[in-house]
Amino acid sequence: MLVSYRWLQELCPVEADVAEVARRISLAGLEVESIEEKGHNLADVVVAEVRAKNPHPKRDNLTLVRVFDGEDELDVVCGASNVPEPGGRVLFARPGAVLPNGMEIAARKVGGVESSGMICSEAELAIGSDAEGIFVMAPDSEPLPGAPVAEALDLHDFILDVGLTPNRPDCLGHVGIAREIGVLFGVAYRPRKAAGPRKAFTAEAVFETSQPTIELAPLWDSVADLDDPPTLPEISVEIENGDRCPRYGAALVSGVRVAPSPFWLRYRLHNLGLRALSNVVDATNLILLEWGHPIHGFDLDHLRGSKVVVRLAKDGERMSTLDGVERTFSTDDLLICDGERPVAVAGVMGGLDSEIREETKDVLIECAYFDPRSIRRTSRRLGLHTDSSHRFERGVDPEAVPQVLASAAGLIAELGGGAVATTAIDRIASPREARTIRLRPSRAAQLLGTPVSAEESLRILKSLGCSIVEQGDAEIIAEPPSWRPDLQREVDLIEEVARVRGYDEIPTAVPRVHPSETGTPGLVKTVDALRDAAVTAGLYEAINYGFVSTEDLRKARVSTDAVRLANPLSEERAVMRTSLLPGLTGAAARAQRHGASAATLFEIARTFEPSGDALPCERTTLAIALAGQRRGWIGGADPFDVYDGKGVLAAILDRVFGRVPEVVPGEVPAFMHPKRSAVVTLESRPVGFVGEIHPDVADDLELIGRVVYAELDVAALYGLAEELGPPQAQGLPKFPAVTRDIAMLVREEYSAGEIAGALATASKGLAESVSLFDLYRGGQIPEGHRSLAFRVTYRDPEATLTDKQVDKVHASLAKVARDRFEATIR
Amino acid sequence: MAEPDAVQTFEDGLNEIRGAYGDALRGAKDEPELRLINGRYVGPQGELTKLLKLMPKLPADRRRELGQAANALKQEIQATFDAALHAIHRGAREAELTGPALDITLPGRWQMPGRLHPITRIRNEVLEIFLSLGFDIADGPEVELYENCFDKLGFPPDHPATDEHDTFFIQGNRSQDPESVLLRTQTSTIQIREMLKRQPPLAIVSPGAVYRRDDDATHSPMFFQLEGFLVDQDVTFAELKGVLTLFLRRLFDEHISVRFRASYFPFVEPGGEVDMSCVFCRAWEGDRGRTAACRVCKGTGWMEILGCGMIHPVVFENVGYDPEKYTGFAFGMGLDRIAMLKYGIPNIKLLYENDVRFLSQF
Ligand SMILES: [Zn+2]
Repeated sequence: MLVSYRWLQELCPVEADVAEVARRISLAGLEVESIEEKGHNLADVVVAEVRAKNPHPKRDNLTLVRVFDGEDELDVVCGASNVPEPGGRVLFARPGAVLPNGMEIAARKVGGVESSGMICSEAELAIGSDAEGIFVMAPDSEPLPGAPVAEALDLHDFILDVGLTPNRPDCLGHVGIAREIGVLFGVAYRPRKAAGPRKAFTAEAVFETSQPTIELAPLWDSVADLDDPPTLPEISVEIENGDRCPRYGAALVSGVRVAPSPFWLRYRLHNLGLRALSNVVDATNLILLEWGHPIHGFDLDHLRGSKVVVRLAKDGERMSTLDGVERTFSTDDLLICDGERPVAVAGVMGGLDSEIREETKDVLIECAYFDPRSIRRTSRRLGLHTDSSHRFERGVDPEAVPQVLASAAGLIAELGGGAVATTAIDRIASPREARTIRLRPSRAAQLLGTPVSAEESLRILKSLGCSIVEQGDAEIIAEPPSWRPDLQREVDLIEEVARVRGYDEIPTAVPRVHPSETGTPGLVKTVDALRDAAVTAGLYEAINYGFVSTEDLRKARVSTDAVRLANPLSEERAVMRTSLLPGLTGAAARAQRHGASAATLFEIARTFEPSGDALPCERTTLAIALAGQRRGWIGGADPFDVYDGKGVLAAILDRVFGRVPEVVPGEVPAFMHPKRSAVVTLESRPVGFVGEIHPDVADDLELIGRVVYAELDVAALYGLAEELGPPQAQGLPKFPAVTRDIAMLVREEYSAGEIAGALATASKGLAESVSLFDLYRGGQIPEGHRSLAFRVTYRDPEATLTDKQVDKVHASLAKVARDRFEATIR
Repeated sequence: MAEPDAVQTFEDGLNEIRGAYGDALRGAKDEPELRLINGRYVGPQGELTKLLKLMPKLPADRRRELGQAANALKQEIQATFDAALHAIHRGAREAELTGPALDITLPGRWQMPGRLHPITRIRNEVLEIFLSLGFDIADGPEVELYENCFDKLGFPPDHPATDEHDTFFIQGNRSQDPESVLLRTQTSTIQIREMLKRQPPLAIVSPGAVYRRDDDATHSPMFFQLEGFLVDQDVTFAELKGVLTLFLRRLFDEHISVRFRASYFPFVEPGGEVDMSCVFCRAWEGDRGRTAACRVCKGTGWMEILGCGMIHPVVFENVGYDPEKYTGFAFGMGLDRIAMLKYGIPNIKLLYENDVRFLSQF
């Protein structure tokens, strides 16, 4: 909310500059986000008197004006059509002046005529929004030619932008912030009486006699009587839904003349972000900004049946609001109606038909208290957030109704020249329940960690406007003021004590923490360990959004049975991912488009699958994508292939679990290459898959070349880690190993892993390892065959092997190779 | 009498080899050549080997004496060979040590590690501090019940406090029904889950992804928060201040100033926001000119960094704790924002684009 420092000082003067006021209220919870000085940047703009006014010799639409700026007479060319007659005063920017928009004024020729300066509009000086014509001083205003504009128009001010939290509706007006400043600076804030109207009349004949009324006169500082009261119909107010509208007040101003507001009012509204419209409307806005209490003005001539009815809408009922939009209501929307039809959406926006217009003579001012929840629901349902709904949904001060009505009626009458009915309606359909709260200073001290005395607590509570019901050293019973709906229980009062004293006045301490015996959950540790291992293995961590498009899932050929958002920002992010593939390969594809030679990425994140329960199943997965080329030392570079994927998985799993995974044929997801992918197992338990992405899928995902992709199921790995436990030390071998090689020619369809496994089995436990050390195709090797050479390491843990033993076993390996794999031993 | 001849031949042979061996070796340039020459004398077909094959033909009475002479020669040859080999090695080493240097500018050759995402990196930094203070990590689901995200945390129904939490609902759920399913808007849900599961004392931090319907220059619809809370008997606001001041000083700089401002979050009371000295203009160093010109703190020297407060008694009531018996504090921070501050990341969107050129910087 924008706040005028000047206005605050008028309401509650304190001896502090704007920076200090801003600092104090910020620390107390009214966060000042920015401070803008006003009226300081208009040097060389002065009041000038028009001395002569002639048509421009060459241009029809320009006027040649001779002005007196207090020192010299100067000729200026002016494009506006409202140049006053000689004797009128205008705002004149002398040559050399720099306007707020950065424009530098210099003497120059316009249409062949020398123009020395510029006659300015409000908008050009950023003191108003009117850009239509030049600013003309009111004839009765005092400033003489040569007076600087900032002084002449009294422009100096600071505008604070205060970010208010939703618990402080009391500060949505200047009065509330002034009251807060009073509390913080220890100055008693005293609400002043509103200026009384020049004319007032007794309203017996106007408001229906059976209605509860209030006398406004005591709320004004003066009031004059009017002998001949206007003749007006008798008006009644009926509240059908007292829970939605606990209080409704109405005052009447008769015989106003709708006209533009005086400059001071327009300027204040302009600085506070509102557009000046007409005196009556501007007055309602000024009251809103002053009291934080929205009011609404109806044109009495357009209220049919002399009646105001506050009721819930009928289903499908319609009305056009002030913004010209026809709205349809539900039975949960509260309306203000006349004898026949809705005339306003309660607390949100007025109706078009009864709005204040130029011909308006008699204004009925509404000032009410509406149920905050009701207003919020309607405002959200209609998508209509207004200055009014913003305040009502946070909770205005119900007890302020008479004072606000008196102020509003007085101001409207002052500006519009009307007469005010001294009696106003004040209908309380559901009285406010006063609540009392107990505050134990000892509890405050215990919670804050610093001593709090009953005396200090009392002083602060009183300054905030609480009524003290009971007071003692052990406890204070207080009734919070009507403008503080946020004060509900003891802890709220403790916060007030802390806040007014200042959080900075509370010392710091170090707590005694009881660490748990279980420590970090295992799954979190596993994720962290996997992440570190993946980085160590050369991968870069990606973080993608949890949501993707259905199209992404479809292209990736992963499950489209996804958790769907009801209100996505776009179709691009409408469903929760069922796989990490779209996100990770998306990043890889972008890297390829940037011309990166390699993208080696991983992500550990959750996927979401509908579960049948309220909440979906969230599964944590580690995904890896390798795209591009593995760099050789100098020059050499080969495209990543499946074996890179296998290698990186081995590096990660070996680091985390001390075990190397197996990669075995098995079922892989549809997006994987059917012939170049396999299942990853650890200790014979499936934990994921690795391979190339299916070429068709890779095309759909706009990937270039063969992209390697792998996934590991983190929960499965964690379960396995729990089962396996920590590594256990093994005795070192006592007896030497013997290595023998076996080379063979075999057909392609026999896999190296299969052969190695069979050889190991055939060794009857003597082969400690069988590893492939050479693979050769082409040359002498017949088509469809390859030459494989294995190195077998034999060891007997209990004795030294003899050559004879080894020869025998090695021969049996060769026999297995020949018999089972049709191998030719070379 | 063939015997004297055989003896003569043998003796001559030995003498000849003795005379020729040293000279032959001197011609060798390197180790292979040296070994080749050596082989001509002591290899399987070498001259000395051949000579030794004549031994059986020697008269028995001379055999022992001549055998010793041959052995002596063998040892002499070995010694000469060792000396020559050593000289060659030495020469090569001298040449290496005094000759031209290796081209050390050729690229190194090893598997380089990758990098953690900056959010993970900052998460780890933050966690390390809280773990050292005795906090534990906890985790919770990203898809949550309305109840856990709002009601139990004390958000009143139809209240503007939820305005900052523009929520993604799961299809079929778009109301304030406690059973409604949504994407969590804050990691504070973990407070509720942990408190429902466990009894005090509790000291927990929980990092994680959260979601809000904001997508503009400064907001990302998914971002990361880290929530922490401590519940025990007699936990105080002073301790909240102590922990967060310590945390921020460890994370940023031991010299920064920290200030607490009153603020509002439904689940804490008293509630506050924490500002620290601006880290861009290093406001704690007191260079007023630099701070005045700082666009990040707009000349104030302060930047907002955390939200915090004492856990609201309504939260304790909602999880079945006695608010008269227990007190606690809670705090929350945006990991994205802290990563951006600490690593000078200009735009939040960079965090989720996964551009390899960006990821490789951390
Ligand atoms: Zn700064």
